[in-house]
Amino acid sequence: MNRPPISTDDLIASLAQNVAPVRRHALGRRLGLGLGLGAVITLVLVGAGLGFRPDLGIAMQGTAFWVKWLYTASLGLCAIMATAQMARPDAPMPRWLWVLALPVAGLAMIGGAEMAQAPRSQWLAMWLGHSWKVCSTLVFVLSVPIFAGLLWSFRRLAPTRLRLAGATAGLAAGGWAAMLYCLHCPEVSAIFVLTWYTLGIGMACALGALLGPRLLRW
Amino acid sequence: MRAGEEQLKAWMIAGLAGDARAHADLLRALLPVLRAFLRRRMAGQDDQIEDIVQDVLIAVHTRRATYDPARPFTGWLFAIARYKMIDHFRVNGRTCTIEGLEDILEAEGFAEAADARADVTRLLQTIPAKQAAAIRATRLDGLSTAEAAAREGLGESDVKVSVHRGLKALAERVKGSLR
Repeated sequence: MNRPPISTDDLIASLAQNVAPVRRHALGRRLGLGLGLGAVITLVLVGAGLGFRPDLGIAMQGTAFWVKWLYTASLGLCAIMATAQMARPDAPMPRWLWVLALPVAGLAMIGGAEMAQAPRSQWLAMWLGHSWKVCSTLVFVLSVPIFAGLLWSFRRLAPTRLRLAGATAGLAAGGWAAMLYCLHCPEVSAIFVLTWYTLGIGMACALGALLGPRLLRW
Repeated sequence: MRAGEEQLKAWMIAGLAGDARAHADLLRALLPVLRAFLRRRMAGQDDQIEDIVQDVLIAVHTRRATYDPARPFTGWLFAIARYKMIDHFRVNGRTCTIEGLEDILEAEGFAEAADARADVTRLLQTIPAKQAAAIRATRLDGLSTAEAAAREGLGESDVKVSVHRGLKALAERVKGSLR
């Protein structure tokens, strides 16, 4: 016979000794805290490691900066909402995630309009910018602290679809990391952001899906 | 008397507000519910059910922040129980039953090897016991002549001669049966 080392009655008695009240929206707070802690580390890495772009104040008055921010923020926001949903054991599949296609399509339209106004000879330069070789990698690396923060959050949460939960957490980490990376990155063309930012965010999402079943087990 | 959804949910919500007594009532009331849930799905593995029941109770306690009072309590509970049961199967994968064991053994050649061994045993019974013992020791059990002599209580040359004569006799028998 395989008898548990502690009797079930004793277990219940010991669990019932420690019943702290759970605040409303405790799940959201927990995820927010993990996300926030990770984001602070990422912000420090951007500020100290890469440096904020010197013309940040001026750039924030232009539209290119806000297009980038709106794009990355909408991805990050959708993903963190999906992550909150996947943190519950009885969560339905987040079928509403198709809305992620909207910011992508919107940015593609802006990119198309920009290219239509520019001479064909500049298209390659718009697409590759000055930093295409490092952009995706930097977004991906900067997502790691945020992903780690979310993993910490999950220690008190109960996902049952581990791969999907890992993917949404990775996507959220990538989206928020990209948003902070905007503070450094001077690129302006929408087609650049659409390609290289999205690639970095996608890599973060893939890493989450890969590690989810192992790291989110409970 | 088993507590229903409404009673369990009321205890859960009171427990979330910090009511230790309601929480203990809840955990106790979950025992028959969880045991029945697991027993239906784990026929023949009753000895493991209590382990999983305890795992589920601990999860209900430590991860209760993931319960949304707007949703049914039992749905949340059974989602945890199902997850813990599947996780248990994954960890203890080696104990699951093998479907079609006979087909696997056939494919791996066990049956043939067993048949061959039976043939040899039958043949050895047809020759003198001393010769059969010498052959079994040196040819089947893989002993050296000296080890075989020690085990069978014979001289080394006796073993050699017995093996020689025995093999010759076996060859005669096989030839005879083929003829």
